[in-house]
Amino acid sequence: MAIDQQGLPEPDLTKTYDAIVVGSGAAGGMAAHVLTSHGLQVLLLEAGRKQPIERELKSMQWPYDHPRRGEMPPDYHALGYNEYTIRQPPYATADSQYKKVTSYIQNWNGADYSKDIVVNEKEHPYTGTKYAWVRARLLGGKTAIWGRLSLRLSDYDFKAASRDGYGEDWPISYADIAPYYDKVDLYLGISGHRENLPWLPDSIFQRPVRLNRSEVLLRESLAKMGRTLTPYRAGVATDGVKHNKYRSRCFGRGACDRHVGGCDIHAAFDSPTGLIYPANDTGHLSIRTNATVREVLVDTNTGKARGVSFIDSEDMTEHEVRGRAVLLAASTLESARLMLLSKSSLYPNGIGNSSGHVGHNFCEHIMGPGVTGFVKDLVGKGHTLDDGRPAGFYVARFRNLKERNPKFIRGYGFEGDGGMKMFPTTAYSTHGFGIEYKKKVRDYAGAMIGMGGFGEMLARYENYVDLDPEVKDRWGIPVLRFHIQFGDNEHAMAADMGATAKEMFEEAGIEVVHSDHELLTPGWSIHELGTARMGNDPKKSVVNQYQQSHDVKNLFVVDGSTHVSAANQNPTWTIMALCWRSCDYLADQLRKGEL
Amino acid sequence: MSDELDRRDFVRIAAIGAAAAATGAAQDGDGGGTGAATTPAYTPRFFTPQEYALADELTEVIIPTDAESPGAKAAHCAAYIDYRLAESEDPVPRDGWRAGLKMVDALSQKLNGATFLQATPQQRIAVVAAMAANEESPKTPEEKFFEDLKHRAVNAYYTSKIGIHQDQQYKGNVYLEEFVGWDANDGQWHMQIKKP
Repeated sequence: MAIDQQGLPEPDLTKTYDAIVVGSGAAGGMAAHVLTSHGLQVLLLEAGRKQPIERELKSMQWPYDHPRRGEMPPDYHALGYNEYTIRQPPYATADSQYKKVTSYIQNWNGADYSKDIVVNEKEHPYTGTKYAWVRARLLGGKTAIWGRLSLRLSDYDFKAASRDGYGEDWPISYADIAPYYDKVDLYLGISGHRENLPWLPDSIFQRPVRLNRSEVLLRESLAKMGRTLTPYRAGVATDGVKHNKYRSRCFGRGACDRHVGGCDIHAAFDSPTGLIYPANDTGHLSIRTNATVREVLVDTNTGKARGVSFIDSEDMTEHEVRGRAVLLAASTLESARLMLLSKSSLYPNGIGNSSGHVGHNFCEHIMGPGVTGFVKDLVGKGHTLDDGRPAGFYVARFRNLKERNPKFIRGYGFEGDGGMKMFPTTAYSTHGFGIEYKKKVRDYAGAMIGMGGFGEMLARYENYVDLDPEVKDRWGIPVLRFHIQFGDNEHAMAADMGATAKEMFEEAGIEVVHSDHELLTPGWSIHELGTARMGNDPKKSVVNQYQQSHDVKNLFVVDGSTHVSAANQNPTWTIMALCWRSCDYLADQLRKGEL
Repeated sequence: MSDELDRRDFVRIAAIGAAAAATGAAQDGDGGGTGAATTPAYTPRFFTPQEYALADELTEVIIPTDAESPGAKAAHCAAYIDYRLAESEDPVPRDGWRAGLKMVDALSQKLNGATFLQATPQQRIAVVAAMAANEESPKTPEEKFFEDLKHRAVNAYYTSKIGIHQDQQYKGNVYLEEFVGWDANDGQWHMQIKKP
């Protein structure tokens, strides 16, 4: 039967593709781009629909032109901070009174515009320990709403185990991946300023965002402490990318924070316009939306992957499709789930899982500690345009680089911004009422500045996901069961994050009005990593340095699940650089008949 | 050039302030008629006309008209609160508002010997001040109602046309040729707003 692909042609499911890519986010989009550029015939499978986000996001709609000022209808419910801290998953069941239950991010201002992008928790339950799991099932995945901070890892991360003795080194070094970071920079566009920090390598930057007054004050003060505040390194084409007809340059409209991310002119990278549509134009790509992949199929004679089976997400029909290579790019947790689901007589613990490490070494970034304050000299100084840009600033890691902290290993960075926003920062927190209240809100609106930390959570075998023996999702597929908890290192790091955030503000003469020290529920950073890690030793890792399964040589896992450690940098740029490198290798191997 | 802009803005705000004052005067001359007369176009869906009039005046005490910008009444905050409560499926805020508005009148009777709408501007402020006395950790039902009352008034006001453009004089949400601010590449400030 015909399926609604929103203008994309229906793919031929009877032919054998060179490669089947499962998932269409940053990793899946990149795989489609690189493999089609090598002339391979690629089938891209996405569980969600193709959504016209350029129409849905309405980035420049004023709050007062929306009936609920950007908020969701009353029969939609976004899970709150308390629900994740008090309750255990599943956070919603099919009989919930609400039409749709979403993750916490839909509590942000402007959630109505992204309410169809994120999954309905009623259909996608999970069990186990507390976890705030944010998922987006649509063409492009979470790149439709991502936060855009785009950072490189360095050998401080790739060789962290050699430096401090904890965990495993990555099977690659910075020199291996640097040329691919360059390719990603040039193909997709990234905004930033060169700082020459060995632990946070520079990209090939387009024009940086400009800093406002409180941010410059903090930058100058931090410089005296030997620390670096740099303009936010945003995966945004501030000067445009001339080879891509689907994207615009950035016009600093400043609505970037309003609608759970998302850029309706596609200056910020998203996988469909940045990677998938250009790949489609090569004539080598086929796309099947509404394809919920259930299993990687195995050829029992060769032990290799022969394709995948999927369920049409809407009409529930079952399908199989064949490929010479299978690439999992369904996200860290969904790719692990898929490997565990793919049990056969040859692979009783799940495909590619002879090591027993699939689902394990689950790590991410800790979040929570941060600080808010104001600059006295800016109080009552009138109204400036401070947020006409994709984001504010980033404070680079400064812990455990040259010295060794006695309380914890690894490091953290801060994201933040200052200055005036459309909705005054202090409107809710300012006490009182009347003329005085109103004046205070006005006077402080441009003087506020805040930042929050992102720190490395150590990869530990004991933190893992497996399949729940009973609970299934709407498609009858067993769901993930979480076993994840922060450890001593995370708690010690969080305490330090909170303390240093406050110190840095005070050192800059910023009056601190609020500081947080508590960790948020695991999952909050939306940076889940490490469930199918890379390595040279097949007993301790799932894939090799080319993200190729140790057990099944035509199976590749090209998303964040392969990261050996979380580092403290936001992972998207690394996911794409690694995927590019692996797909170059895959294409070469396929050509040589090695797969 | 910026002087020119400031002057124009000032004139615009002054004109709106005058209009708001005129409406207030008309209402005073209304002989104690309902406060709803200030926003005749809106028919409340959740509030009764009396409750709506009270909510309208209450929000104005929280965010009043001042020399810089009109307040909550002009920004139709009570109408927005009514709209959201009317469509809400959650009984907690709906019951909270019905009970809360009754408490406001009772408190006004106690403090002023008059309902909130009959009270003078100073008496109204005294009522809200009593409710706001313990904002840090509200304990009495009146103090707890003040939390939601203020939150919704603030939300409605600073997302309104008046709140964004007149009070905050927000300059963003426009297409910019270049970012505004300090540029790390040249170490210079670029404060002019250039539109493409």
